[in-house]
Amino acid sequence: MKQLAGDAALDLESVRRTFGTVVAVDDISLAVARGEFVTLLGPSGSGKTSTLRLIGGFEELDAGAIRINGERIDHLPPYQRDTATIFQSGALFPHKTVAENVAYGLRMRKFPKSEMEERIRRYLDIVRLKGFEDRYPGQLSGGQKQRVALARSLVVRPAILLFDEPLSALDLSLRLQLRAEIKRLHDELAFSAIYVTHDQSEAMAMSTRVAVMNRGRIEQIDSPERVFHEPANEFVYTFIGESCCLPVRFGSGAATDKLGQPIDLSLEKKPSDGDWRLYIRPSRMKLAGEATAFANRLTAKVQFIEFLGDVYRYHLEAGALEMFSDHPGPTGHNVGDMIDIGWKTGDMQAFR
Amino acid sequence: MTVTTVKESPSYELNRRKAIRRKQLTPWLLMLPALVIVLIFFGIPTLYMLRMSFNLHIGQRLYVPGFTFEHYVNLFANPLFTNAIWTTVQLSLLSSLCTVLIGYGFAVLVWLKPAKWRLLFIGLALCPLLISEIAIIFGWWMFFPKNGLLSYALLSSGLITDKISLMYTEFAAFVGLVYVTLPYCFFILLSIFDGIDKRMLEASADLGAPPFMSFREVLLPLTRSGLLVAFSQSFIWTIGTYATPSALGPDTLWTMGYLIQEQMLGKHNWPMASAFSMVLVVGVACAMALTRSLMSKRTSFHV
Repeated sequence: MKQLAGDAALDLESVRRTFGTVVAVDDISLAVARGEFVTLLGPSGSGKTSTLRLIGGFEELDAGAIRINGERIDHLPPYQRDTATIFQSGALFPHKTVAENVAYGLRMRKFPKSEMEERIRRYLDIVRLKGFEDRYPGQLSGGQKQRVALARSLVVRPAILLFDEPLSALDLSLRLQLRAEIKRLHDELAFSAIYVTHDQSEAMAMSTRVAVMNRGRIEQIDSPERVFHEPANEFVYTFIGESCCLPVRFGSGAATDKLGQPIDLSLEKKPSDGDWRLYIRPSRMKLAGEATAFANRLTAKVQFIEFLGDVYRYHLEAGALEMFSDHPGPTGHNVGDMIDIGWKTGDMQAFR
Repeated sequence: MTVTTVKESPSYELNRRKAIRRKQLTPWLLMLPALVIVLIFFGIPTLYMLRMSFNLHIGQRLYVPGFTFEHYVNLFANPLFTNAIWTTVQLSLLSSLCTVLIGYGFAVLVWLKPAKWRLLFIGLALCPLLISEIAIIFGWWMFFPKNGLLSYALLSSGLITDKISLMYTEFAAFVGLVYVTLPYCFFILLSIFDGIDKRMLEASADLGAPPFMSFREVLLPLTRSGLLVAFSQSFIWTIGTYATPSALGPDTLWTMGYLIQEQMLGKHNWPMASAFSMVLVVGVACAMALTRSLMSKRTSFHV
């Protein structure tokens, strides 16, 4: 399905960027529809920040095209592009007050004074910083600074907002709070955005679509649900959500681990012979009594048990296989006991 | 609500007071060595010079103990001296301005360049500091005269048809002063730039500011105090220096440094030399106070 260029707030076409011999961005194509919130999710070095910097104009393109609202902009300097970036550090101007920071983009766009003041007031209200107009960034907390950065970028109403890991420098509770707030703002203002993060829960919570990146390429781009439940490949599966990997060899006889010892594993649909990596999410593995209802079964030994508050995490081993499973309460098994594990076929992914 | 009073042994209270006293004393103790050095090597000689400037000067004697304002009156009444003050201030202002401009450009360049270039540039800037002022002056003697490097370079590039000498000109003195103060200026400014988040320039461009606007709105305000410090250090250096302008400038270039030397060693008039030096010291102090007051109250934004 090819989207019309005119429909997209942002359109990347075979974008490529290399640093020496390293290919940071490897022929990426991506279209962001108006009002869409697309997250680039990936480990560090996957090219997500480079992609964002290419869009903002802070890096030179090696090949490909970038269009904003259908118009090609990759030859323009950053100050002529209708983008606004929220930086990880905030990058607020320390010598300007909150109001002056927010006014900056409007002043560069030569807004009339009265309208400018109106807008600044409105957007400071939106990010809940009413009354902070005359403070300096140095007098604000980390969360407040990022709110100012958000207002400063939102206020110019760019064709596309670029988020460069804006929450990763904040502590957990603040991160969750601001995450919810960005989501609320997006619902309210329906801006188009690209959000770069390595935090999958951020990506899941906020995005219309998630693009999982690895080594300069997009491995999969889909709704958060589909990325989670229907991963395109092994990388996406292992990167999103917790999972246990069971390397198993299927032969003529029983299944064996990598050392060749037989393991007590029975599957509903036995895969073809050879080496496989089976993946199961720890929350989907059922233990002990609950396990008997499932067609996929494995018997393992309890290695140790962690209490995590909501659940008990059982670390298990079967031969050379290691896995862990979350159980809402204690199963009554102790370290060293043998325990049954069961799961639905749909909850397992097999890759070879 | 009742407040529980904790009963402590008397020795606790004594030790607590001791600890507080120690805390109050620590900064003074830490400052003491520097304070002693400053007082012995700068404070006492200055006071001595102050006293000397009021002594009498009779005949060929270096000085005669006494008390007179004669030298100060003479200093401001004699156009020889007032002209020298004016010449020196002009030369210092001009060369400091030029130093700061070049130093600023150089520092921006090093700050913006990738780290691998940094060491090279810093090494280059350090080079002049490894050579004494006198040796540098000898260097200029190879550079400015008629058969010097500059003359040949201009000739071979076709810019001039006859060999020229810029030796013993005010221009040579000016270049010499800029060269001597530039490394210090560069390092002061670089340290200021290093404290600035480069993302701020990106943010500025991102919000629609062309490069010059980013410079005016972001870079300049953030480096203002650094500029003032760099300028005042260049100014203080050049206004008091003697060797470079005397060795490179024309015989008619009478700077304050030159006249002090002449009064001291040529005319054997120590009180006059001291009075002139006092004027210099007070002038420098005023310049420092002025730049201080020009600095914004919030010199650091990393509160």
